[in-house]
Amino acid sequence: MVSLPRNRLPLSAERLRDLPFGSRDIGLFLVLPGLILFSAFMLYPIAFLIYLSLTDATHAGTVIGGDASLVGLQNYVELFTDRLFWNSIGITWLFLAVSLVIKVIVGIGIAMLFTHSHVIGKRYMRAMIIIPMGFPPIFTITIWRGMFSSARFGPLNEMLAMYNGAVTWIAGVVDSAVFFMAVSAPEFLLVDMPVAWLSGRWSTFFAYVTTEVWLAYPFMVIIIVSALQDVPAELHDAAKVDGAGYLYRFIHVTLPAIKGPVMFASILTAATSFQQFLIPWIFNRGGPARQNELILVYGYREAIVNHEYAFASAIMVTAIAFIGVFMWLAVKKGGLAEGVGSE
Amino acid sequence: MKLIDDIRAVRSGHKRPQELAKSLIATGSAVGLLVVLLFPVYWMLTASLSQGVGLMSSDGIFADPSTYNLDAYRYVLIEDSTFREALLNSLVVVFVTVSVSLSVIIPGAYALSRRRFAGRTKILYGYVLFTQVGAGLSIATLIALYALFVNFGLDNSLLVLGLFYAGTAIPFNTWLLKTFMDNIPVSYEEAAMVDGASQWQVIREVILPLSKPGIAVVLVFTFLAGWNEFIIAQTLLQSENYTLSVELYSLATSGRYSTPWTEFAAFAILFATPVALIYFFAQSYVESGLSFGGMEG
Repeated sequence: MVSLPRNRLPLSAERLRDLPFGSRDIGLFLVLPGLILFSAFMLYPIAFLIYLSLTDATHAGTVIGGDASLVGLQNYVELFTDRLFWNSIGITWLFLAVSLVIKVIVGIGIAMLFTHSHVIGKRYMRAMIIIPMGFPPIFTITIWRGMFSSARFGPLNEMLAMYNGAVTWIAGVVDSAVFFMAVSAPEFLLVDMPVAWLSGRWSTFFAYVTTEVWLAYPFMVIIIVSALQDVPAELHDAAKVDGAGYLYRFIHVTLPAIKGPVMFASILTAATSFQQFLIPWIFNRGGPARQNELILVYGYREAIVNHEYAFASAIMVTAIAFIGVFMWLAVKKGGLAEGVGSE
Repeated sequence: MKLIDDIRAVRSGHKRPQELAKSLIATGSAVGLLVVLLFPVYWMLTASLSQGVGLMSSDGIFADPSTYNLDAYRYVLIEDSTFREALLNSLVVVFVTVSVSLSVIIPGAYALSRRRFAGRTKILYGYVLFTQVGAGLSIATLIALYALFVNFGLDNSLLVLGLFYAGTAIPFNTWLLKTFMDNIPVSYEEAAMVDGASQWQVIREVILPLSKPGIAVVLVFTFLAGWNEFIIAQTLLQSENYTLSVELYSLATSGRYSTPWTEFAAFAILFATPVALIYFFAQSYVESGLSFGGMEG
C-alpha cells in the first residue's frame, strides 16, 4: 500500500483505445480460466456453505445424496442461543482488540528505536528484526507451542525459574546486609513453578496474544518504518527550534504523519487476528474446555470433530460476514480500488 | 566503524560525551530487543543441534555448544523416511500450484492491464476485495469444500489440493501482476507495432520480458501458498499423502509429554529454510509485494 500509489499509473481511456489491437473481447477469454478456477474453489464453496447452513446435514457424507433437507433458519436460531457461540465471539473480539493494541504499541516502539539516529547499524538490525516474517506460520507457531511447554524445563518455565532464583538471591543479599532481622523473598514476587501455560483459561489467552503479536510485529514494523522515513526532517527541526520536547514532537509531528499507514496496517492485522486459526488449534485446540475457541476453531471443530455440518456452516457464514466487512474496510480505507475504474 | 569515530570525536573534544552515551544506550537497547525477539528462532536452531543432549532438562534451556552435533539432521534426512516422502508430496503440490496459477495469472493480468472487455471493472473489483484480507476464508469454506470433495471422491488428492491453492492464490497475484504490467509504458508496444510486430510477438517480445520481476514475485507467492499451508492439507489428506507442514505438526504433537524436540527442530528448520532463503534473496521484491498485500502469501 505504501509503495503503490507512486508507481501506479492507470492507463487512460484514450491510451487504451489508441492501442492498435484487434478484437476487444479476447481479453475476457484470457481472464476466464483464472476466474473459473477462483470461482470453483472460492465462490462456489461459499455459496454451498450458505446452502448447507440452511439444511440439517450432520456428516460430510450426508451433504449430497438427498439425506439432508432444508430446515430454514433453524441453525441460526440455535446458534444465536448457544452459549458457546457468544463465548467464541467474545473471546475472538477480545483477542483481536488486545493483540491489536499491543501490536500497534510494540510496532511503533520497535520502528522508532530502529530508526533512531543514535542507533548504530540500524539498517542491518532492521533486516534482522523482520526475520520471523520469513518463516512458515506452522513453523513459528509450533515453536511457540514449545516455548509455552508446561514442562518444568520448558523454555519459559526455565526463565521463570531464573527469575525466581534472582529474586531469592536478592533477598539473600538483603538478608545478609540487614543483619538485625531475617529477610526472605516476598511470596508475591515469586512465581509458582512450573506454570501449566496451556491449562488455564487466561494463561492460554496470554500465550495466544503473545504469539499473535510476535507473528505480526514484522509487518507492522515494515509499514511504520517506511511511514516514519516519509516524515520530513524539517518538521522535526522546526518543532525543535520552537522548543518542543520529545513527547510533544511525538504527539504532534510523528503521530499525525504515520496515522494513515498505521490505520491501514491495523485493519489488515485485525482482520488476520479475527481469522486466527493456527495458534489456538496448534496450542491446545481452543482449550481448555473450549473456553478459548476463536470463531474459526469453533466452526471447524463443530464440523470435523462433532459432525454438526449444518450448524458449523451457520457459524462459518457468520464468520464470513465479519470477514466481508473487513475486506470492504480494507479496500475502502486503503484506497485500493483507485486503479480499478479506469473507464 | 561509526562507534570508533564517535569515541575519537569525543576524545578530541568535537563531540560531547553525552552523545556517545546516548548512542551506546540506544544501540544497546536495540541489540537487547533484537535478542529477545529472535530468541525463539535461536532456541530452535540450537535444539536442532543438540541430539542426545539433555534438552528441556535440568541442564538449562540450551545445550553446551561443545556438544553440538548433526545427528538430528542425519536422522531426519537419512534414517527416517518421513521427511523424504513428505518432501515429495509437498513438491507435487507446489508444482501443481505454481504451474497452474502462473498459466492462468499471466494471461489474466495481461488482459486486465491491456485489454478492455465486458465485465473488466467488475472482475477487478471482485479480485481486489480478495487481495488483502481473506486468509481465513479458505478455512471458513473448508467444511463446505471438504463435504464437496468427499462426495466427488476428490479428497486425499495432491493434485486437487494443488489446484485449490492455485485457485485461492489467483485474486491477489493477478492483481499484483496487473499493477506491475500497468507500469510498463504502452509506447514500447506501440513502437513494436509500428515495426510490424504481431499481437503475439508484442506479448512475447515486449510484455513478457519486461514483466519478469513481477512474474518472479508471483512465483514466490504461489510457491509459498503451496509450501506453507497446513490445515486444509491436514483435513483433506490421508497420512500417506501428508505434506511437510502436516508431518511437522504430527511430529510436534506425537507424544503429549515427549515431543522429540531435537528431531522436530531439525525437521522444522529443513522445512523453513527454503522459505527463509527465498525471503532473504528476494527481500526488497517481497517487501514491496507485502506492503501491498498485507499478511497474505
